[in-house]
Amino acid sequence: MSNMNPVVRWFHQLGSPPYFDRFAARWAPWAFGLGLLTMAVGAYLGLFVVPADYQQGDSFRILYIHVPSAWMSMAMFALMALYGAVALIWRIKLCEILAMACAPIGAAFTVITLATGSIWGKPMWGTWWDWDPRLTSQLVLLFLYFGVIGLYAAIEDRRAAARAASLLAIVGVVMLPIIRYSVVWWNSLHQGQTIRVFGESSMDASMLPPLLWMVVGTKFWAIGSLLVRARADNLQREAGKDWVRRVAGVPR
Amino acid sequence: MSYAGYVMAAYAVFAAVLLWDFVAPRIRIAQVLRAVRLLARRDTARARSAAQELKR
Repeated sequence: MSNMNPVVRWFHQLGSPPYFDRFAARWAPWAFGLGLLTMAVGAYLGLFVVPADYQQGDSFRILYIHVPSAWMSMAMFALMALYGAVALIWRIKLCEILAMACAPIGAAFTVITLATGSIWGKPMWGTWWDWDPRLTSQLVLLFLYFGVIGLYAAIEDRRAAARAASLLAIVGVVMLPIIRYSVVWWNSLHQGQTIRVFGESSMDASMLPPLLWMVVGTKFWAIGSLLVRARADNLQREAGKDWVRRVAGVPR
Repeated sequence: MSYAGYVMAAYAVFAAVLLWDFVAPRIRIAQVLRAVRLLARRDTARARSAAQELKR
């Protein structure tokens, strides 16, 4: 152990349930705090500083929560599948816990995406909902999240439950390119890609900063939420152990 | 072209869902730790009553 690379050793330590509990309890408030601060800056710029769009008026300001949430809904699914694959291949308990902790966070961001898109759609498209490829595929993503959460809750053995739900998460990854390219492959009411990570965005540069703040803020928030949710599951799984009794403040 | 009502509704949904995301796992942690404390208290009470039985 003493000759081990420090990074590898840290990963080994992180796999220990009491060590992870201390790690999550220590860093989650920082991630939430940074997320809240960054999102507050983004929301302030998006709501009060950036001028209204010449076509959409103020309704375009919804974009600053809709787009980062949509990206997070997909990123969390990819992360869940990645942790799920690691958990299935190497049978690492912490990865099972982290994979399952991703599901409610991703589902929350998917709900935000669908709801804010719907609220924006009413004045702009004249309807709350349309069975458009982008909207429908995003709704299927929400059902997949519900499937993973439900499957994990339905099987009593926590490890078997996590493995079954991880498999569903891996299969569900097929939805991600479908959502991403739905506006290209099919005749969609939803607008095409406006913001590009590589290459020039078709959005005016003056409108970008609030979006970047919100994108970073939602990432920090998701890290905080992932740590707290994983901590809760870790504590529940280990409830009979001495270290959990110590965390609960049980006198020896 | 002010859509203030729609914008406020969208931001309210965003805030409400994130608030749930913040609170829900904390409630679960509190429940787990409470269950651990109750179980420990029951175990202590049981051990104490068993010790008294032996004394008699």
